[in-house]
Amino acid sequence: MKKTTKLGMRRRSFLQGTAAFGAATAISGLSVSSLWADAPEKPKEIIIRAWGGSWVDSLKKGVSDPFTEMTGISVRHDLTEDNEIQPKVWAAVAQNRVPPIHINWDTTTNASKSALRGVTEDLSGLSNLANTTELAKPVGVEGYPIVNTYGYVYVLAYRPEAFPDGPPKSWKELLDPKFKGRVAFYNDGIGFHFPAQVAGGGSLDGIPDAMGPAWEFIEKFKAQKPLLGEDPDFTTWFQNGEIDAACTISTNARAAKQNGVNIEWVVPEEGAKFDTDGLWIPKGLPENELYWAKEYINFALTKEAQQVWLDGLGLPGVVPGLTPPADLINDASYPTKESDFANLIRVSAQIQVENESEWFSKFKAIMQS
Amino acid sequence: MGKANRPYPLSWRIMDAAEAVFAAVWPSRGGRMAPYIMLAPALLLVGLLVIGMIQIGDTSLRVLDRTTFLMSEDWTLANYQKAVSDAFFFKVAWRSLLGAAIVTVVTLMFAFPYAYVMVRTNNAALRKFLLIALFLPFFIGQVVRAYGWLIILGNQGIVNDMLGLVGVEPIRLLFNYPAVLFGLVQYMLPFGVLMLAPALTAIPEEIEAAATSLGANWWRSFIHVILPMAKPGLIGAGLVVMTLSLTDFAMPAILGGGTQDFIANAIYDQFFRTSDQGMGAALALLLVAIGSLLVGVVFTVFGAGTLAMGRSKL
Amino acid sequence: MIQPRSKSVVLWCLVAIAVVALSAPTIVVLGASFTSGNIIAFPPEGFSLKWYAKIFESDELRQAFVRSLWVATVCTVVSLPVGTLAGIALSKFQIRFERSIQIYLLLPFTIPLIGSGIGLMLAFGKAGIIGQLWPVGIAAAVINLPFMIWAVTASAASLDPDLEFAAANCGAGPVQTFFSVTLPAVTPGMITGSLLMFILALNEFLVSLLLVDARIVTLPVQIYNSIRSIITPDLAAVSVVFIASAALAITVLDRLVGLDIFLKSK
Repeated sequence: MKKTTKLGMRRRSFLQGTAAFGAATAISGLSVSSLWADAPEKPKEIIIRAWGGSWVDSLKKGVSDPFTEMTGISVRHDLTEDNEIQPKVWAAVAQNRVPPIHINWDTTTNASKSALRGVTEDLSGLSNLANTTELAKPVGVEGYPIVNTYGYVYVLAYRPEAFPDGPPKSWKELLDPKFKGRVAFYNDGIGFHFPAQVAGGGSLDGIPDAMGPAWEFIEKFKAQKPLLGEDPDFTTWFQNGEIDAACTISTNARAAKQNGVNIEWVVPEEGAKFDTDGLWIPKGLPENELYWAKEYINFALTKEAQQVWLDGLGLPGVVPGLTPPADLINDASYPTKESDFANLIRVSAQIQVENESEWFSKFKAIMQS
Repeated sequence: MGKANRPYPLSWRIMDAAEAVFAAVWPSRGGRMAPYIMLAPALLLVGLLVIGMIQIGDTSLRVLDRTTFLMSEDWTLANYQKAVSDAFFFKVAWRSLLGAAIVTVVTLMFAFPYAYVMVRTNNAALRKFLLIALFLPFFIGQVVRAYGWLIILGNQGIVNDMLGLVGVEPIRLLFNYPAVLFGLVQYMLPFGVLMLAPALTAIPEEIEAAATSLGANWWRSFIHVILPMAKPGLIGAGLVVMTLSLTDFAMPAILGGGTQDFIANAIYDQFFRTSDQGMGAALALLLVAIGSLLVGVVFTVFGAGTLAMGRSKL
Repeated sequence: MIQPRSKSVVLWCLVAIAVVALSAPTIVVLGASFTSGNIIAFPPEGFSLKWYAKIFESDELRQAFVRSLWVATVCTVVSLPVGTLAGIALSKFQIRFERSIQIYLLLPFTIPLIGSGIGLMLAFGKAGIIGQLWPVGIAAAVINLPFMIWAVTASAASLDPDLEFAAANCGAGPVQTFFSVTLPAVTPGMITGSLLMFILALNEFLVSLLLVDARIVTLPVQIYNSIRSIITPDLAAVSVVFIASAALAITVLDRLVGLDIFLKSK
């Protein structure tokens, strides 16, 4: 009798134990999951690399703050330049460490370099991708190592007071000696190489093998002693009255305009470069952080997020049905229809990836010699 | 005479124990090894730099493959060939060397009287004031100081405001070569003074009085008496200022506006703008070679001056 | 000795220019931080403490400052014993290969900062320890070690070897001699050195730029990144934090050791 009692007792206590254990897991499971069933543990924060000034402000307003409200995860923005974070991310992946950022808001060209190197996570599984235009798909790489989120134009931004005869029609007008020291470009000349090719008398087919005309045209600018900087510098320079014209993304000029300075922009007859930016995730993140980073990008592709984010930037997005901000309807910097793209220069990501560094070095070499 | 019987203090007990341990551990003939053992940690710590240099050397021999963006597996001298033949790098090197030379001369020109006044004055308050004026910027760091000059020299800064009072149009004072040189001079000034001061202290004041009593005016006594005696200080100061200016990063970056790259900026660009670590490493190694050559030449010809550590006499 | 007029005029002119050049940025940054406007300007428009309030509220800046303090602490803790021992060894003993060892220990000075920084970045990377804060402290210690050794040797020059013989004569063992005679003699150098190392590590910019990332950014790098973004007066307020620490360090240095120590010949 003792044996059965023991066995019976053991079985009972075993059943009780498992029941208690089961109940405990069920309760704890309930308390962890909120809106998402089976959602992995939320990280304390997500770090996103972003460009400073009006760029990061728009991202915060349109994507980061609503994301924090929805999920409770705080978002930190790292303002390191895209070129400077690249080797750090590459090194982290190569050394099997956790990368310094969760999401990189990057130019498509830079992201393609990282994709070729194999350090990007695949984003094809995002649910909101189904709702995007073809602009969202990166060209020249397999699948979705990066999701493009908007397009932009490197316009000729100018102060109307410095151009009493009306808006400049050609990039060549900037060679006027009265603009010495009062024109500005990006540090590496990005956005200017292609129009310079046309302005120098060459053709777009000559990119990348016959870019002599481009470099000749840029040589002429050396005498103008242009200022070289990054996105926020253009806004500051326009605001402080230090420059009259610049080859920059329309967002930077628009930021100065919204701060009360009279700035306009135009796409000259030689054309202006059109390109895209996007978001990508470096390899090496822990499982749960990867999940939530993907959720962030997924959220950035919703119509609501894109609308607010891109209203701040003044740029066309990748989701159909967005309304352009009032001041940019039919503006050259906000191309929506086929005809808008007529005078814009688009070069394939592949050519840019292979040659961009060389163009950057050449531009710098010319400007510093 | 009865002393109170005080108990053996605890600290003495600990010291005795320490002595015992030391005596047990230390070999009896080990006395001669003492200095080397004391130097060992420092030698190891600096050894980290040596390891770093070896890493740079290794990286500099690899080329970047632009289809996969990975460094090559084999070693090649391609980076070095490019470095010595490229016109841009030559321009940058020349700009840095010339800048370093100019900055050294100008800094010494201002550091010498500063150190002289500081050392010779009898007014303790003045000396303290001069020392604080020297140390405060020294401790504040490059970035903050460059930032201050951006505000002062900007198109809407004080200097242009004052020029505007006299009716002069705002001049572009920043983002050019003189601005960078100026920034470097004001940054190097404390270093120069600190290297010169000990040498000037060593010159007895009576020597100057003697020179005067022998008929020299102050300029001649300066050229023929003080300057030669201050040689170790000049060497130490000149060397430090020269190498620091040659290799500076922050001033050309912040005050130069992207058009006044020095060697350090070019190296940084290679690593962080074009992601070509091999090229950047090759440039870095060349810079180390140039710098060491300069220092080595000066050391062997003139001695280390006030830069010396240890028992070298002035 | 009565100085001739012309000499005083020349000297004082040069010194005045130097003092202005040295102090101008400090004063300007200090002043601009109190502006009540929204853009950086000197003289400031209006007087307001709102930018200081803003930086105290900013978690990012506070965390960056704490990280800088930690890096400075690690640097000082590491370099103090290492530098002191090396300094004493170099001053007291006759060492073989003295010249070579001196040149070797001057490597952090002769190798340009960018070279050391990149070398350490590659070496630490291979070891897989980038991404943590303590390697930055070690890097700062390596880079600035000559300062520590220099400070200790300067004050060890006044160490009279007879004092140590006298101590031995009175019955002190080697350990006791070290702690009662040698160390106190180099204490001024140790204090000067540690303060120097602490402040230098606190301000360390280039090496930090290479070794930190967004998760462990230190204050000077944070300021630099922000300068390259829109420049607002809160940056000036943050810079004042550095000015305040510098002033504090100088006061402490002066109280404990006296700033005059830097004037002494070796």
